[in-house]
Amino acid sequence: MSRMKDTGRTMGQGWRKGPRATRRLVTDRLATALSLGATALLVIALASILWTLLRNGIAGLSIAALIHPMGPPGTNGGLANAIVGSVIQTVVALLIATPIGLGCGVFLSEFGRGSRFATSVRFVSDVLLSAPSILIGLFVYLVLVAPFGHFSGLAGSVALAILAVPIIVRTTEDMLRLVPVAMREAGAALGAAHWRVVLFLCLRSAAPGVLTGILLALARVSGETAPLLFTSLGNQNWSFSLDRPMASLPIAIYQYAGASYDDWVRLAWTGALLVTLGVLGINIIVRFGFRKKQS
Amino acid sequence: MSEALHESPDQKADPESRDAALEVRDLDFYYGEKQALKSISMDFRKQSVTAMIGPSGCGKSTLLRIFNRMYDLYPGQKATGSVMFDGANILDPALDLNTLRSRIGMVFQKPTPFPMSIYDNIAFGVRLHEKLSRHEMDARVEDVLTRVALWKEVRDRLREPASGMSGGQQQRLCIARSIATRPEVLLLDEPTSALDPISTARIEELLDELKRDFTIAIVTHNMQQAARCADQVAFFYLGTLIEMDSADRMFTNPRQKQTQDYITGRFG
Repeated sequence: MSRMKDTGRTMGQGWRKGPRATRRLVTDRLATALSLGATALLVIALASILWTLLRNGIAGLSIAALIHPMGPPGTNGGLANAIVGSVIQTVVALLIATPIGLGCGVFLSEFGRGSRFATSVRFVSDVLLSAPSILIGLFVYLVLVAPFGHFSGLAGSVALAILAVPIIVRTTEDMLRLVPVAMREAGAALGAAHWRVVLFLCLRSAAPGVLTGILLALARVSGETAPLLFTSLGNQNWSFSLDRPMASLPIAIYQYAGASYDDWVRLAWTGALLVTLGVLGINIIVRFGFRKKQS
Repeated sequence: MSEALHESPDQKADPESRDAALEVRDLDFYYGEKQALKSISMDFRKQSVTAMIGPSGCGKSTLLRIFNRMYDLYPGQKATGSVMFDGANILDPALDLNTLRSRIGMVFQKPTPFPMSIYDNIAFGVRLHEKLSRHEMDARVEDVLTRVALWKEVRDRLREPASGMSGGQQQRLCIARSIATRPEVLLLDEPTSALDPISTARIEELLDELKRDFTIAIVTHNMQQAARCADQVAFFYLGTLIEMDSADRMFTNPRQKQTQDYITGRFG
């Protein structure tokens, strides 16, 4: 580790380690120790969360939990309807968010470069990226729940989509900007119209990165609870209709974790474990599935 | 043979001009306020290789990028004067750029394979301008790959991504891609500067073959390359065409002192 290794050369008096060198060495060690300590703290926090989740979640993880819908305490209920509800709502959210986010990202990178409108859109999108998710839930409540008089899975999906869009916009724009100018010029030089160059050359070459962004957005929204509280509400029973209140894992966790029934609490842990494994799975796919293609 | 060109590029009654694929007259070019080309007049003769040499920033690449209106991609760049090509002025704003670019192809400094298969790299440009049957397209792909001496190397992996080829192969693919749309003029912007000597030699050999069918304009920093491949050589300095002549004469007996200084390596 030490930078002061003996190089084997004979050194004059001036090269000897003086007090200044010692002081530098101490500072170096101290800085290394501090950053290692910070890293260790983070890893410990993450590991203990995962460990606690695993220990408590595994206990409730059973076939029954996966195939039975939620039920009253003591009736051997499961999480099946919440799992299915979560999958439906996040998939619908992505179906809404992907075209909007892609289109917007393409506009920012390829068509509106430098225009004032694009600058404002980018700014709004970045603000949205860090907007509190509960606000988005409330917004969708006002627009899609209150006027219709009932909660719905669709409202939940829209809320999640609003969270996902700015993530997709940002990654799409960033990835398109990485496409070399030379490729655009080569396309144009063959006589391809701008939109063709964007669609068939730029987007295709940015595809792994863009797909990564979509999956990261999926990972991000699949654990969101606050936007769903006011929109899809949750449901104790099976619900496949986007027009009705719909169950979801995060809301099931929210309901069950604070309950005073042991089986509900156990299911809350199981739900948390399932969400975490899902997000972890997506991240692993992103990491290893696309890295190879990109290189 | 090129005697007429020696006199003055401005001579409109030049008998050789019937042979010119591109006639540049009083061409000025501006990057915003900055003038990059000053009153350029020169001819690019059909079925021959014209090399443009000169130190960095002298405007030779700029000139090349005017011929396929590449500068249109960037706001603030402006050209005045005229470049006649097949009876039309290339600078005419009403010109259909996509057609122009199918007739004047360009190959860039760095190989730019598209993110698709070797076959599709070539078919991409062809499909933009022609409707070919499957069979005709196969024939076109084989034809152009053969012409760039790539067919034997890649015939078994036409469906594989072009990014898996070596740099030299990629550049030959880019040339094949450009000639696949059957252009009349081929613009080469330092096509070998990113390649190793062997790949460079292959591309130079290729130019000799290609000039039978195409008018070739090549920008190069490599004096030997200009001497080896070009029929005519034009020397640019600070946005001005200093001298244009046959390659033999330029490299043995240039008329301008600046040209002499540059080709003997005294500056640039």
